Amino acid sequence: MIDQLRQRLQALQKAPGIEGRPGALPFGIPAIDTMLSGGLARGTLHEIAATGEAHLAAAAGFALAVAKRTAPSPRLFWVSEDMAFAESGVPHGAGLDAFGLAPEQLVVVSTTHRRDLLWAMEEALRCGATTAVIGEMRAGAIDGVAIRRLSLAAAGSGTLALLLRTEPPGDASTAATRWVVGAASSIVPGTPRVAAQLVRNRRGPTGTWILEWSDSDGQFILATHAQPLAAPALDRPHRQVA
Amino acid sequence: MLSLWLRRLSTDRIVRLRKHETSVPLVVTGKRGNVEVVTAADDAARQLGLTSGLALAQARAMHPGIDVVAEDVEADAALLDSIADWCLRYTPLVACDRPDGLLLDISGCAHLYGGERELIADLGGRLEKSGFAYSLAIAGTIGAAWAAAHYGEPASYACGEESSVLAPLPLSALRLPPATVASLARVGLKRIGGIIDLPRAPLTARFGPDVLRQLDRALGHDHEPLTPRLPVAPYVAEQRFPEPIGREEDVLAITVRLARRLQSALEHGGDGVRRIELSLFRTDGVVRRIAAGTSRPLRNPEEIRALFVERLAALADALDPGFGFDMARLSVLVAEPCPPEQIGIAGGEDTAELCRLIDRLSARLGPRRIRRLVAQDSHIPELAETAMPAQAVNGDTGWSTFRRYRNEVDLPPRPLRLLARPEPIEAVAEVPDGPPLRFRWRRALHEVVAAEGPERIEGVWWSEHGGPARDYFRVEDKSGLRFWLFRAGLYRDLAHGAGAPAWFLHGTFA
Repeated sequence: MIDQLRQRLQALQKAPGIEGRPGALPFGIPAIDTMLSGGLARGTLHEIAATGEAHLAAAAGFALAVAKRTAPSPRLFWVSEDMAFAESGVPHGAGLDAFGLAPEQLVVVSTTHRRDLLWAMEEALRCGATTAVIGEMRAGAIDGVAIRRLSLAAAGSGTLALLLRTEPPGDASTAATRWVVGAASSIVPGTPRVAAQLVRNRRGPTGTWILEWSDSDGQFILATHAQPLAAPALDRPHRQVA
Repeated sequence: MLSLWLRRLSTDRIVRLRKHETSVPLVVTGKRGNVEVVTAADDAARQLGLTSGLALAQARAMHPGIDVVAEDVEADAALLDSIADWCLRYTPLVACDRPDGLLLDISGCAHLYGGERELIADLGGRLEKSGFAYSLAIAGTIGAAWAAAHYGEPASYACGEESSVLAPLPLSALRLPPATVASLARVGLKRIGGIIDLPRAPLTARFGPDVLRQLDRALGHDHEPLTPRLPVAPYVAEQRFPEPIGREEDVLAITVRLARRLQSALEHGGDGVRRIELSLFRTDGVVRRIAAGTSRPLRNPEEIRALFVERLAALADALDPGFGFDMARLSVLVAEPCPPEQIGIAGGEDTAELCRLIDRLSARLGPRRIRRLVAQDSHIPELAETAMPAQAVNGDTGWSTFRRYRNEVDLPPRPLRLLARPEPIEAVAEVPDGPPLRFRWRRALHEVVAAEGPERIEGVWWSEHGGPARDYFRVEDKSGLRFWLFRAGLYRDLAHGAGAPAWFLHGTFA
C-alpha cells in the first residue's frame, strides 16, 4: 500500500525536463552541450536575462538563436507587455529574416498585465502549435507558482519556453537553466558577439562563454579570437559532467 | 411593415427615472432660436393646453405650477436605440424613425407569435409595462403604417386596405414638408382621399414631385427602402426560453445548441463564421451583445463555444443576468466561404491548432493584441512593415517579395528590434556627414568605437509630409552595444534653407 503511494508520489513529483526528457536542443558548441548534457532541454522553461536593460537586444538575439534551433522552420510566439515593446522596440521582421527566422512564422502578443502575459504564455505552451514561446518581462519578481505552471505546460507539449528578462533576477527559480546575457565588443565590426553566462543549471555545472554570430552557419559559435575569455566553470567542481 | 410611435418619449424617459409618481404636469423645454420653447409635454400638461412649440414664458404664465425639465436630445436618441435593440426580438430588420419612432419589417416573423395581431398585443403589452405611451400600426407599406400609427387609432391594423385607411387622414400623414401641406390646404386639399383620384400631371407641376411620390409609396405603387439600424446577419439562430436563464453554464450550453443549428445552415451554404455575435435579451428589456472574431472560417460548435468561454471570462463587467435572459440569438455577422475540412495534409493540423490559439487569445485579450508582421511596399523602415491583427492576416504576408527585393539590392543589415518611433539623441560627429563620435540616448552617454554606413534612405520627396533624407549608421559602443542611428537631413541642404540635421536612434541589434 505504502509502496504504491510512494510510486504515485514519485510519478507526480517527476520534474519535467529532468527525467522524462522530450529531447535536448544542442547548441552545436561542444563546450556548452556537454555542460547541459546534450543541450537545452525542450519542454521546459529556461530563463534568459539581460545583464542590464541596454543589453536586452543581445539577450533577445540569444533567445531567438536558441528558438531558431527548435525546428527547420521554427514557429515562434512572442508575448510581451505593452511597455516592453514601447521601451525596447517591437520585433523587426527584416532583422529577424536576416537572423534566419521567417517573420511570417512569428506571432506577436502584447498584453497590459503580467497576469495576461503569463496566461497567454501558458495557453501557447499548452496548445503546442508553435515550436518556441518567448515571454518578455520587465523587472520584478515572478511568482514561483507561475513558473512551475509554465514548466508543466511546456512539458505537456514539448514546446521550448523561454523567459526573457531585462535584469538578472535575484529570486530563486524553478526554471531548468538561467542565463545572463550581455553584448560583447566585436572584433570584426558588425558581427554580433554576446557574453553568455550560465548562472543556474539544474543538471550540472555552470559557465561563461563569449559567443559570436556566424552568418555562414546561421548560429552562434564560440568566439575564437584572443579576447579576454571568461574563466572556466569552477563553481561546482564536485558535480560530474554527464 | 410595423410602425411604432412613442409619442411621449422624452417625458416617459424622465418619468421612468423618477422614483415616485407625481401628478404635476411635466413639460420638456429647449432653445429654438432665442426662445425657450416647450418641446414635449405629458398627458396632464397637454390637457391644460400646453403643446410643443409654445414659448416657456407663456406656458409658465398660463400655469405657474408646471414642472419644467431641460431637453436632452442625446438621452432620447440613446433610449430610442435601446428600444430598437430590444425590438430585435421580433425581427432583425429594425430601423429608427427619428426622433421618436421605429419601423419594423415583420414580414415572415409574425407567425412566431401566432400572427400579426398577437405580435401587436405582445409588443404593446411589454411597452406598456415599461411605462411608454405608444401607438402602432401594421400595414403593407411603410408610408401607410406610419400614417396610421401617427394619425389613426392606436394599435391599428391596415393590411390590404391601405387606400381606405389613408383616405380620411390629413395630408401631413404623408410625411410631406409643412410648406407643401400648407399650399395644398390653400387650394382646399386637406385629406389624402382628396388627392388620390386627382390627375397626376397638374399636381406634380404645381406642388412638386414629392406629393405623388409619397402617395405612391404609401399606397404601395412605389418601393420605399428600409434602412435597418444594424446590418442583417446572413445566418441567425435563436431560442426563446419559457423560464429565464441566468447561469453562465446555461448561456454556454445554449450557445452550443444554437451553433449546432447554424452549423447545418453554414454547411449548406458552404460558408464559415469569421465574426459571430451572441445577443442575450434580458427580461427587463436590456440586450447584451457579445461578439467574437475568428482567424479562419469556422463551423464547429465546440470551437464557437470555446470563443465565447474566453469572451465571457474577459468581460469587464460580469454578465449580469438580472432577472434572467428570456431569449438568446446567435448571429453570424461575417461569413466567408469555407472549403470542406481536409484532414491529414502535412502541417495542416498545426496550422489549425495555431488558428484556434489565436482565436482564443484574441477573444480574451482583444484582436489587436495578437499580431503578425506583414511586409509593406515602402522603403521607409518604420513603414516597411506593420503588425496586423493575426485574425485579419490571410494568405500572403509579403515576405517572399521582401526577400526577393533584399537579394536584388543587397540590403544592409536591419536591427532585431525597431523602436515604435525614432527617438531623438544628442550626437557629436567628427565630420558633418560622418558617423557620430559619441551620443546620448535616454540620458546615457555612448562612446562609438566602430561605425558602418551611411546607408542613405531618401524621404518621400513626392509628398509634402515626406520628411528629409536619412543617413543610417550601424554603430557599436564601448560596451559592445549595437545601435541603428540616423541623421535626418543633409548638411548640403542647409544652403537651400532646410533645417539643421538632427540625430535619431531607431533600433537595436543583437
